[in-house]
Amino acid sequence: MDAPAPVAEVKSKKLDETVDFKNDLIPMFTKLGCNAGKCHGSAIGRGDFKLSLYGGLPETDYDEIVRRLGGRRVNLTDPESSLIFMKPAEFVEHGGGEIIDDGENARLLLTWIRQGAKYIEQRQLKHVQVTPNRFIANQIGELTPLKVLAHYQDGSTRDVTNLTQFAADDTSAVTVDSKSATAKVLRTGRHLVIARYSTEVIPIELVVPISAKMIDHSTEPRNNFVDKEVLAAISELRIPVSPLVDDRAFMRRITLDLAGTLPEYRQEREMRELNRETLVDDLLASQAFIDFYALKLAKLLRIHSKIDKNRVNTTPQAARAFHDWLASQLRNGVGYDHMVREIITATGDSSVYGPATFYTTVEDARLQTEFATEVFMGSRMKCANCHNHPLDKWTQDDFHGLTAMFAKLTRSQVIRINPFGKNIHPNTGEAALMKIPGGEFLPKDMKDGRAVFSDWLTDRDNPYFAKAMVNRLWKSLMGRGLVEPLDDFRSTNPATHPELLNQLADDFINHGYDIRHTLKVIALSSTYARSTNPIDGNYSDNRFYSHRVQSPVEPEVLADAISDVLGVAGNYGNEPPGTRAIELKDGAILSDALDILGRCNRTKSCEGTPSPIGPLAQKLHLFNGELLNSRIGADGGRLDQLIKSKKTPMEIVNEFYQTALNRRPNEQEVKFLSQLFNDNKTSVQQRAALEDFVWGIVTCKEFVTNH
Amino acid sequence: MNTSIRCDGVTRRNFVRVGGLTALGLGMGNFLQLQRATAANPLSSSSKAGKAKACILIWLDGGASHLDTFDPKPKTPSEVRGPFDSIGTNLPGIRISEHLPQTAKLMDQLALIRSVTSPFGVHNFAAQYLMTGYKPTPALEYPAMASVVAHLRGQNGVLPANIAIPHLVSRDAATLGNGFLPNSTKHFSLGSDPGKRSYKVQDLDFYQGLDLSRLDRRRKIVNAMNEYGNLKSQHKGPSDPDLERAYNVIASDEAKAAFNLEEEPSKVREYYTLDPRANVHDSNNIGQQCLLARRLVERGVPFVTVNNTGWDNHLDLATYANRNPGDLRSASHALIPGMDKALAALIGDLKDRGMLDETLVLVMTDFGRTPKINSTGGRDHWPNCFSVAMIGAGIQGGQVIGASDALGEFVKDRPITPGDLSSTIYTLLGIDPKHELLTPDGRPIRVAPQESEVIEELLG
Repeated sequence: MDAPAPVAEVKSKKLDETVDFKNDLIPMFTKLGCNAGKCHGSAIGRGDFKLSLYGGLPETDYDEIVRRLGGRRVNLTDPESSLIFMKPAEFVEHGGGEIIDDGENARLLLTWIRQGAKYIEQRQLKHVQVTPNRFIANQIGELTPLKVLAHYQDGSTRDVTNLTQFAADDTSAVTVDSKSATAKVLRTGRHLVIARYSTEVIPIELVVPISAKMIDHSTEPRNNFVDKEVLAAISELRIPVSPLVDDRAFMRRITLDLAGTLPEYRQEREMRELNRETLVDDLLASQAFIDFYALKLAKLLRIHSKIDKNRVNTTPQAARAFHDWLASQLRNGVGYDHMVREIITATGDSSVYGPATFYTTVEDARLQTEFATEVFMGSRMKCANCHNHPLDKWTQDDFHGLTAMFAKLTRSQVIRINPFGKNIHPNTGEAALMKIPGGEFLPKDMKDGRAVFSDWLTDRDNPYFAKAMVNRLWKSLMGRGLVEPLDDFRSTNPATHPELLNQLADDFINHGYDIRHTLKVIALSSTYARSTNPIDGNYSDNRFYSHRVQSPVEPEVLADAISDVLGVAGNYGNEPPGTRAIELKDGAILSDALDILGRCNRTKSCEGTPSPIGPLAQKLHLFNGELLNSRIGADGGRLDQLIKSKKTPMEIVNEFYQTALNRRPNEQEVKFLSQLFNDNKTSVQQRAALEDFVWGIVTCKEFVTNH
Repeated sequence: MNTSIRCDGVTRRNFVRVGGLTALGLGMGNFLQLQRATAANPLSSSSKAGKAKACILIWLDGGASHLDTFDPKPKTPSEVRGPFDSIGTNLPGIRISEHLPQTAKLMDQLALIRSVTSPFGVHNFAAQYLMTGYKPTPALEYPAMASVVAHLRGQNGVLPANIAIPHLVSRDAATLGNGFLPNSTKHFSLGSDPGKRSYKVQDLDFYQGLDLSRLDRRRKIVNAMNEYGNLKSQHKGPSDPDLERAYNVIASDEAKAAFNLEEEPSKVREYYTLDPRANVHDSNNIGQQCLLARRLVERGVPFVTVNNTGWDNHLDLATYANRNPGDLRSASHALIPGMDKALAALIGDLKDRGMLDETLVLVMTDFGRTPKINSTGGRDHWPNCFSVAMIGAGIQGGQVIGASDALGEFVKDRPITPGDLSSTIYTLLGIDPKHELLTPDGRPIRVAPQESEVIEELLG
């Protein structure tokens, strides 16, 4: 590179070594925020001065600083009149204000200019080490000094603390004084600070225990590695745990979680013989499990038919074919790695061969990259469409290299390879080369790169694939992901229990990516069996599993549960009568009931999207709408039949409690309801009172949540 | 916290009423409300600001082009200027789009901010920033301003305090919700469009065979089951507050009437219509949506969002101005003239009713559009600089605050962040921007962000 000749000599004694453009100056710009997205790091720069986002492209930045604007940014004869110094020091007007206010930064910049403003990269960064990267403070307000050490390829190390930017994830929980590089935690709990030096981004975890006194969890049951890890974190944070639930509550919970249905009520004698492991095995072997987990996978893969002349279509046949295929994979116990491999490499007629529908779900190859990486890697790569990902390792080459593979597909009912398909790389204006994310480029003449990609993805050493899936399985049983959001894995968004996530993933891989196996491990942990009822000291915990998360029953499951309790089937589009909501094979099948209950329409990711219907509208519908009112007292329904069989109101009440809540009414409930029927003795009054009771039991909290 | 007790010590239950339209005219509710706002949120200055009782947010969903509405650049080359001309307004020297002729006559009352700037160019983050005043972060979900107002003002009678017309689900619903505030402050979506012939708010009328006494018994049964059952609540407070709210709405004939546009004289309905020759129902829906917003505000609802969709047009710009009623070739059909008519009618109507000084009307959007027209004749997302309009609430109208540069690319003068907007909006509504809300785990969060500043010029 042709740089201007050196002119001035080094004046500062403190900085007598050569200033390294890549390892000193660029990190300083990052630390000061110059190359952030809101300033010169924006896609079009700022004030006609553009730097690469967080210094991702140092050579381009060098050009911009030294050569553009007729070289006025750097003045070698009079360094202090260089624009690159005068602007941030605000000797001339600067939109970003006075950025350089301390001697250290100004000195570094001026020294670099005095040394000839050269492009120098003396050493190549290997990795960055932050100490501590995890710190447990004893109390709020304790100061934690942070130190950052850069390790270079040549084996040398250097303290780069003063060139590192520290940012708290939540500024109301932690503050970092950038001058002294000292963190201060302001609240109890576990918090995150992100350190950024050069291209490296490192999370630092700071913990202040919730309670002042130690809590003894040594007698809590540790059924497997899940409990060991969860109790370790809970002990460290000093949170008390809620008790474990009884067999009846466990049975309702696990049946809803694995089979998507209410349990059949068992008598006391049968309950005494209940073996939880046998119950879990039976549920995992049931048809209901296949139906329910096919639905979960179908939601994950956003299966919905769409017919629109301006868009990529998915026919209803294709949607069904994909759903049926998923169910058959589950029925045959196919490993998740094999399933995904087949989906990624699919070609053929989507209306016959389900997996091909994966390529008609979104509109184009770039969206396909976002979709595939969110689903299979739990990674949001979309930022890397326009610039290297600011918080993750993904580069534009990664994004457009994967897109280049998907661009070689015809995006229509029949998925074929189109050898002329290409993806124009926005930086080069030419067809992007196929590339494995974070890995190698594929040969230019390769017709279809998907097999290489799926080999890489489903390899046992792949760091994303298994974790993304076990995290989803964990959430489906525990109500919260170890990483949240589920599709946002990155080093700057670490898991609440990193070691547990690793062990779950390893265990999943070692058992042939068997979904049932991992679900069973989680289901048999004592962590899974904790009560949802909080106790003193753990009310505010919502991520360490000191009590189970109360989760709303999924809309499809709730619709079926309501139908089962009322004894009247639901109606879904043109599906045959008696079709259950969890069996619906296409997200586009019309159903007001499911809309009211808040189902996801699958046109976007179903993860983390709250119900589109507000609580008030939902309750208005429960009061005055069709969903319950048209079925509670219907001819042939459960209530109607029980009344006709001449059961007493309290016998009927008992039956509904068993069906809906898997228990008998308690003393207070019996007293309240007996009073209701004593006040309504004529048959007309009694029927109305019974209808109102049934309405109540399918509306109450205990029914509509899994707990 | 016992939510049935207000800060002034009056039990909400004692005031189950529809709102402002009581026999006493203004109504007891407004009196108490004013008192409370003053007591809880003392304003530092003695300005007129802070007396607005309600806010109508006209949200141009998808990102309205600043260059084709409030910030035209008539002297730029055609690929920036776009297909539309600009016209003068009743404010000397200020020009806006030729498709905003009625707004042009209101410029002396309106405040235009032409230097709003945000870093977010994708809809969900952008909308979240504008609607909450806070930059989105994974660490905490902030509540929309509408929810904050609903939370602090409380429900004024039985009508929900935060209503969206017709709904707020077109984009990422997650970003527009109640954040860490209670579910009861989330917007109530009508789920039906008042601009359509089929308009009817769902599920307000009794299901056949049912009456109020039956519904009353049903809610009592549910409350008993929630109280006696096995599930301990993870929160404190009433067992199912949403059920109570729904019951109260159904039980009130006045509440139901509030949603009924048929009660408006046809003259008024036409007044809000873009093309009177066309059927009221066939033209751009935003007029009737604004009329309903006025009815709701009149009855004490403190925050109404009119969500006008279709502005995310990356294609042919000309469709924004298409005036042919019934021409539905484009989702952005006649959006600009429709908004012009609706805004002017709403302002005129509020003024005639003496409500303009106590109602803040906002026109906001996700972001602006790229100054340079793209290859399909449209404009793409552009958050770096765009415009927001405010009127009513006693603000100092007839001014343009801030400026964009020659091409409308960046802020040239007086950058205003969405945080500054929220600070200003709260102040105008009598809420101290420094007022702190508590998250469920007890963290204090200011209603407007720490670094935000009130736009003092607006306060008059």
